[in-house]
Formats: sequence, C-alpha cells, structure tokens
Amino acid sequence: MRQPLPSPLPLLDRNLLGLVKRIVPCDEREEWFRTWQAELWHMHHRSRNHPGKTLSVATDLSIGLTRDALWLRTDSWRRSFTGTPTLCLATLLGLCLVSTLVSLALSGSWHALSLYLGGPFKRSLLEAPLVVFVSFATASRRHIEQSSTGKKLYWIKRQLFFAAKMLLVLLLTLLLSADICQPAHASLPNTSELFQIIFFVIFALLGLRWAFLDQEQRCKQCFHSLGTPARVGRPSHNLLEWNGTELTCKQGHGLLSVPEMETSWCQSSQWVDLNSRWDQAASI
Amino acid sequence: MSNPRLSHSAALILKALSLGYCFGLDVMEVTGLPSGTVYPALRRLERDQLVESKWEPEEEATASKRPARRYYEVTREGKAAALAATQRYPLLARLVSEKRS
Repeated sequence: MRQPLPSPLPLLDRNLLGLVKRIVPCDEREEWFRTWQAELWHMHHRSRNHPGKTLSVATDLSIGLTRDALWLRTDSWRRSFTGTPTLCLATLLGLCLVSTLVSLALSGSWHALSLYLGGPFKRSLLEAPLVVFVSFATASRRHIEQSSTGKKLYWIKRQLFFAAKMLLVLLLTLLLSADICQPAHASLPNTSELFQIIFFVIFALLGLRWAFLDQEQRCKQCFHSLGTPARVGRPSHNLLEWNGTELTCKQGHGLLSVPEMETSWCQSSQWVDLNSRWDQAASI
Repeated sequence: MSNPRLSHSAALILKALSLGYCFGLDVMEVTGLPSGTVYPALRRLERDQLVESKWEPEEEATASKRPARRYYEVTREGKAAALAATQRYPLLARLVSEKRS
C-alpha cells in the first residue's frame, strides 16, 4: 500500500504533478506519480540546507518531470503504432501533404499550382495504369495462401489496404516528380515535362515494388509488419533441406517462412496461420 | 548480443549508475546533466534492458521518515555496455568518480 508523504509537497509542485500526470498513459500514471512525488520530496528535503539552490533545482525537475511524461506518452504511441497499417497509410499521406506544400511554395499560389499540376495529372492517368501493369507483371508473387473458409473478410481488407497504399504511392510519386521538375518548367517547358514523365515512371516503379514487398511482409490477419526475423536451417544444406528466414506476427497470428532460394520443392514463401494451432492446443 | 551504441549522455548516466549512484537526483548531481536529459535517458536504458528499476522497501523508508524512492541498477548487459562505452569515451572514467559509501 502507498504510504502518505511524511510532509506535504509545496502547492506549486502538487499542481504541476496533477497537471502533467494527464499526459502519462493511464497504465503507467500511478507509478509515474509516485516516482516524481518521491523525487520532489527528496529534492526539497535535500535543498533545505541550500535555500538558494531550491528554485533552480525545482525548475530543472519541473522540466524533467514534463519531459519524462512526454517520453512515456510518445513511447506508448510508438509501441501502439509501430508497424500498423494506419501508420503506413498516415506516413504516405503525410509525405503527400509535405510534397504538396513544397509544390505550393514553388508555385506561389493555389491557382498557379493547380495550373501546373493539371498537365502531369492528366498524363499520369495514362502512365499510372501502365506502371501498375508492369509492376504486377514483374512482381515476385511468392505467397501460397492457405485456403480455408472464413478468410474472405481478411482477404477483402488486405486488398483494400493494398489498393490504398498503391494509390498513395502513385499520388506521392506524381507530386515528387512534379516538385523536382517545377523549377525548370518556366524556362524549359518541354524538357521539364519529359523529365517529369521519366521521374514519375521510375519513382512509381520503385514505390510499387516497395508496396509489394511491404504487403508480403505483413500479417495476413492484422496487417501489422512482421518482425523478429530468425534464420532457420543450414545454408550448407541449401539443396537438401529447408533453409530460410521466418518472420513472426507480434500479435501471434502467424509466421511467414521465406526460403533462402527458390527450389523445385520449395518455390514460395509460406504463411503459417497459428490461430488454428492455438485452438488445437487449447482443445487438448 | 552486440553492445548497443550509446550516446555520450546515456554512457555518462550508465557509468554513474555502475559506480553506485542509483537515484535520479544523485545521477543529476554527479553528471551535471539536467533532469530533462537524465530521466528520459533512464527510461530508454530501462527499455533496452541495460538498467532495471526497483522500489526501496516501504518499511525501510517509513522508518527513516521519508517516502520510498525508485532506484536503478545496472544489468549484466548494462555492465558490458558501460565497459564498451568507457573504451569508446575514455574521458568518462574521469568525469564521474566512484561513490563513497
């Protein structure tokens, strides 16, 4: 049980603790409050012999407790959002926004920007389907999907996420290629347009390749990035037995086995659904 | 496991902890670093399992008429990291002196 303080903290410290406490995530709030209550009490107790130092140390500790609370909050966000599909889409959207702002700064006004982007946008309506077609045709589609009933919903969600990602990648590449060529557009319009097309195609191909790879290395159920890669098998036995890397879903939904090299008996990565295994284990 | 690369501040804090300064306030005093650097760094070190925090026994603190404090101890990985950091930043050993018990 928590003991009360032998002597109360000054009113200012109590108010500050009460205010900053709200920043700390709920599950860590109690311990954070107790830690800082004790630290402040000891600081006041220690500096009783040096009254001149109290103010500077108290100010320093106030900054410290605020930064500590902020750190806990950002760490909690980091843990919650790292590898999530939301973060992936939000990052792409953020980059699109930054790219638009750069375009706006280069153009000077919204009207000039819309006039300038009109051309690249119309051209991209023709270029983008071709780039998507080439990306699909050349992508290494190494997954073996486990055919089981009740997975339709996950499949639809996965395709929607992939479509959103591709759309954002194409939008970002359009904006980036337009940003790069914009300074030269006034003096060399034709050359600038040609380079814009080239940059768009190159960036879009690279971006879509990344989108495929990212999609492959995500959990098939929760779409979180797979982590903790582990090498399995011996490289010297490459042609004799399974050798590759296993990536696991942090939520425990499954693992992805990626072979080191494609052989006739092991051509593709395999998604192993662990949920059904847990159910089997629980029923024993 | 390879030793994590520590910033100069984190290495200084780890060194102070390994020399017996186990409270946040003590670390601040001996390193001269502000609390806004020390406390978040202690959190990071704890997250990376280089230090672990514990609470003083409540009875002991109550008997001394003071609240129990959170203190930090360097883990085995932390000791290895502190050693590596001392080799990387040789002046660390001179910056922090051992705590007198």
